[in-house]
Amino acid sequence: MARRLDAALELLDRQLIGNGGTLAGKVDDLELTDPGGNLEPPRVTAILTGPAVLAGRLHTPVGRWLARVAARLLAPGQDQLSRVPFDQVEAVGASIRLRVAAGQLDAGAGEARVGRLVGRIPGAGDAA
Amino acid sequence: MRKLLEIALGVLTAIGGFVDIGDLVASTETGARFGLGLAWVLVVGVLGIILYAEMAGRVASVSGRAVFDLVRERLGAGVGLLNLAASFFITLLTLAAEIGGVALSLQLATSVNYLLFVPIVGFLVWLVCWRVRFEVMDNAVGLLGLALVVVAVAVWRAHPDWGAMWHSATHPVVPGTESHTAYWYFAIALLGSAMTPYEVFFFSSGAVEQRWTRSDLVVNRLNVYIGFPLGGLLALALMVAAALVLEPRGIDPSHLSQAALPTSLVLGKLGLALALLGFFACTSGAALETALSCGYSVAQYLGWPWGKFLKPVQAPRFQLVVLASITLGAGLLLTTLDPVKLTEYAIVLSAAALPLTYLPLLIVANDPAYLGDKVNSRLSNAIASAYLAVLVVASVATIPLMIVSKAGGG
Amino acid sequence: MRLSELLGAEVVDEHGHTVGKVHDLRLVEEGPLLGGVGPGLRVEGLLVGRRALGARFGFDRGAVRGPWLLEAVFGSLGHEGRYLPWGRIRSIQARQIRITGTAGDLPSPEPLGEVPLHRKPAEGSWWIRK
Repeated sequence: MARRLDAALELLDRQLIGNGGTLAGKVDDLELTDPGGNLEPPRVTAILTGPAVLAGRLHTPVGRWLARVAARLLAPGQDQLSRVPFDQVEAVGASIRLRVAAGQLDAGAGEARVGRLVGRIPGAGDAA
Repeated sequence: MRKLLEIALGVLTAIGGFVDIGDLVASTETGARFGLGLAWVLVVGVLGIILYAEMAGRVASVSGRAVFDLVRERLGAGVGLLNLAASFFITLLTLAAEIGGVALSLQLATSVNYLLFVPIVGFLVWLVCWRVRFEVMDNAVGLLGLALVVVAVAVWRAHPDWGAMWHSATHPVVPGTESHTAYWYFAIALLGSAMTPYEVFFFSSGAVEQRWTRSDLVVNRLNVYIGFPLGGLLALALMVAAALVLEPRGIDPSHLSQAALPTSLVLGKLGLALALLGFFACTSGAALETALSCGYSVAQYLGWPWGKFLKPVQAPRFQLVVLASITLGAGLLLTTLDPVKLTEYAIVLSAAALPLTYLPLLIVANDPAYLGDKVNSRLSNAIASAYLAVLVVASVATIPLMIVSKAGGG
Repeated sequence: MRLSELLGAEVVDEHGHTVGKVHDLRLVEEGPLLGGVGPGLRVEGLLVGRRALGARFGFDRGAVRGPWLLEAVFGSLGHEGRYLPWGRIRSIQARQIRITGTAGDLPSPEPLGEVPLHRKPAEGSWWIRK
């Protein structure tokens, strides 16, 4: 009996966890194949994450503005879209475990950039 | 034996950490203006926070996820963002109010203007968030906050007419000098001071920070069921003290010093010193909690790494949000906005925003995917739903009441 | 195409009546094996309903047995949810999906059952290993 799940209920807005256990953002959208002229049932090809993706999803103008601001603040000049091909998914549960490390995602690049900034402050590398 | 000590520590920190600037201001003000007429609201509020804090702790212990983490999953990104915006804004206001409270406590102790303390306090709050271990921070401010017990002692030593007090608490009457709209406005404010949104975020995130698991459920419950009511008793003591001392004299408390007045009258200099120490500790603790909660809510909504247990370089955006929040909060105070007035607005708006926080929590607490067999019992669901209904009514009534009663002034 | 393009789209039947808005996509495991999850996921149908609020809470699909008050409020919103098999779709335009047949002959969605895809109660827990 093939298993079923509902995309918005079970996949969307779930926490992504990299293979090292680090948090890697949320599932902001899913990439599907184009149905095309014959209306083929789409397949899920990738998970999409990042402020730009979130901005595209929110229908309220305020939400879109906020996400655009966030995208600019966090990664100026870089398209903050991160695409995780679905074959990189290790397990789907209350959160979604990935086979790649969090730092490899483009969303992780924003974290790394802020990390370099924060790293200049004394004590940043010490465990509290 | 060690377990017993651990429980004792947890309970004591819960008692000492319960009161914050919102409780100080709300309890004192309502005691001075309405006597014990609003004591019942405090009881309702304390029971409410006990119920929802236990839920938040249970969700975190069993699922390993903090509440705000789950808000987006359950409400969706759009509504979740609205929730985040409102919660963040209100927690930020509360943070500013708490920093103001610390600065005012220092002003009372040293007679140096509080504005000079604001940047120092802001810096120290940030430093503790940056460097100090979670448990150390939590325990230190919690235990110091126990100094506030002096207020309860002062009430006891004042030998009030307990019978008359019981009567006025159980038969609330709006004093002739006050309007009914002001009464209900302050009822909402008092509710908001007891049931703060940030408490739920902080409590659940703290449980994840400290790696609570199912085996910690009992300790969690003891902390909440014993510690919170006793903490609430301290807030009640503040109200009673104000009712005994400030109300007969017609003193309308607009300065923090008036919250300490009853204790200093009854117990002299030592009483005053302990009361100020208590104020300082409570507001410091709450400043730390609200600063971290600002970081928790943003990071958890966006799925960033978060937590004090991580080195700052491992959770840089979370730390940046904490720093930015403290800066904004301190900045707000430096505009010379009255900290007491700011506190009043913060708690009233908190009350209005409570349904946003408690609805997703209630839903998650019933989801077996997160809690397995530890979902809510029918009884707790019944009580929690009743509370939610009351909170929705209070939330809707807040702005109209604020306007009609001119924010309690009219 | 993205999921967000389908969510919230208006569903219109052959008479031009609005059936509702897309709340969710029902996916089924099917096809070549992918990574650790198993067979890839294919869209089987859409979940359509009138109001969007509360659709994510899980009351309508039996996932959450909440307080009866909330179930009563939000569950009822989900009960008029309908399941639209993909095959019934005639065309997809920007934010509008046309289907064959009428709203009346769409079935109610089947509940997903106890534990879908790898999900166990303890699954949600994660501790970052230092």
